[in-house]
Amino acid sequence: MTSILTITNLQKTYAGGFQALKGINLDIEQGEIIALLGPNGAGKTTLISTVCGITTASAGQVRVAGFDIVTDFRAARALIGLVPQEIHLEPFETVQNTVRFSRGLFGKKSDPAKIQDILQQLSLWDKRNSQIRELSGGMKRRVLIAKALAHEPRVLFLDEPTAGVDVELRKDMWDIVAQLKRGGVTIVLTTHYIEEAEAIADRVGVIAKGELLLIENKASLMKRMGKKELSVQIADPIAALPDSLSGYDLELSSDGRALIYRYDTRAKRTGITALLADVAAAGLALADVETRQSSLEDIFVDLVQSEGGTS
Amino acid sequence: MNWTAIKSIYMFEMARFFRTIAQSLISPVLSTSLYFVVFGAAIGSRIDQVEGVSYGAFIVPGLIMLSVITQAISNASFGIYFPKFIGTIYELLSAPVNFLEIVAGYVGAAATKAFIIGVIILVTAFFFVEVQIAHPVAMLAFLVLTCLSFSLLGFIIGIWAGNFEQLQLVPLLIVTPLVFLGGSFYSISMLPPVWQAISLFNPVVYLISGFRWAFFDTADVPIGLSLVAIAGFTALCLVVIGWIFRTGWRIRS
Repeated sequence: MTSILTITNLQKTYAGGFQALKGINLDIEQGEIIALLGPNGAGKTTLISTVCGITTASAGQVRVAGFDIVTDFRAARALIGLVPQEIHLEPFETVQNTVRFSRGLFGKKSDPAKIQDILQQLSLWDKRNSQIRELSGGMKRRVLIAKALAHEPRVLFLDEPTAGVDVELRKDMWDIVAQLKRGGVTIVLTTHYIEEAEAIADRVGVIAKGELLLIENKASLMKRMGKKELSVQIADPIAALPDSLSGYDLELSSDGRALIYRYDTRAKRTGITALLADVAAAGLALADVETRQSSLEDIFVDLVQSEGGTS
Repeated sequence: MNWTAIKSIYMFEMARFFRTIAQSLISPVLSTSLYFVVFGAAIGSRIDQVEGVSYGAFIVPGLIMLSVITQAISNASFGIYFPKFIGTIYELLSAPVNFLEIVAGYVGAAATKAFIIGVIILVTAFFFVEVQIAHPVAMLAFLVLTCLSFSLLGFIIGIWAGNFEQLQLVPLLIVTPLVFLGGSFYSISMLPPVWQAISLFNPVVYLISGFRWAFFDTADVPIGLSLVAIAGFTALCLVVIGWIFRTGWRIRS
């Protein structure tokens, strides 16, 4: 795969002395979806703003398809589209005009057919002559995406695109992201919704206190760091765990009908076979057995807390 | 140069002007008409000619300057302040445009609006008084330069302003007094010698004097000095704007 975005030792210290980015290194391949997770104030928006040219870096380098964002800013920025976190739109302008303006601003010649394509793709075509102020919140977010796509960028930054939106719209956004990926657009999105990263990202990065704690393939991350929970359902409830099972890290459910056993999927031996044998030997009749994979959220919380990165 | 971007910003700003065409045009035309009624007809009828020109006609260049300067500043300052206020400035900052292109788009649109209003006021004046234009090309050149230079000043004010109050502060407290005291309604030769000397520190005196020369071939200060003053003022504004974009002052953190 070809690298489309390379961030090297990116640092940002604001005038007041606050260090928002502490040497971020990140390499993003063309066509992938990266989700950057992090608590509020972690540096996600500063990272995006710096790459897009809204904030000036204190040190480090960013290259977009090989173009430096400072020395080759025209070529680099022409490849980038940005959907900001807040809804920033000219309220009295029409949908079509504001999207057309964005295309022109990025130096692209007027192309009514392209604008129509984008508006149709985002279900905005029927609203093309409406003023922005007449639109619902969800429609306004779509307009922001349409504006970011108007100049046909190769990399699209979505800064918390579903913050504060309802479940239905969030699913819509995920569909749009999937659609854009199919069109070959590389997508970098920030979010603090773990389920969002879990649902749509190829790779997940975790940022806390201005540092990129990890960046890894979502599936391998969950496999590498994930824990599983085994719930052994027993036919007759018990009041306390039998002494013969005291060697296991077990927990008895409040109704006394299940033994909860947590194990590490990375361990050579999970201990499940021996546990089940000992449960049977203790005279407990098995009613059912089920397992549950820990979510990305559990991993995220573990990681951020272990780094002392909660805010 | 990213000409497409300049055109886009320019057209977007002009669209705002045409969207509110009634208030954009009616207000200056109405206020100018009132000036003509009050100063031209009511008071002017009791004033003799000023430097060989009827008082009603004498105030035409000053009235045009008054409106053009006010409009140039307010249009340009609002043009760049509004994106800051509503947050759409992110798009300008992330676009492949440099400061010259941004300034060309916004200042070009603001100057065009001010120019249109200046021309409309001139046309309105013809309905009230008889006005002759001795140097039409110079008149147009002065008008264009004034529109441009004060739009540049307005752009700086728009970048500097942190709220709508500040946006009004400089025009109200500094520019309007300078324009009124800059000989809009009188020749500074009518003032006592001390006030004449003080007036020469007012940069607007040079603009109005030069503009009036283009109409009546008579001026308070030499025409060359007027040209140097307006060129110097434009250059100063450009230097300040260049510094703003180089440092990101008030726009880029």
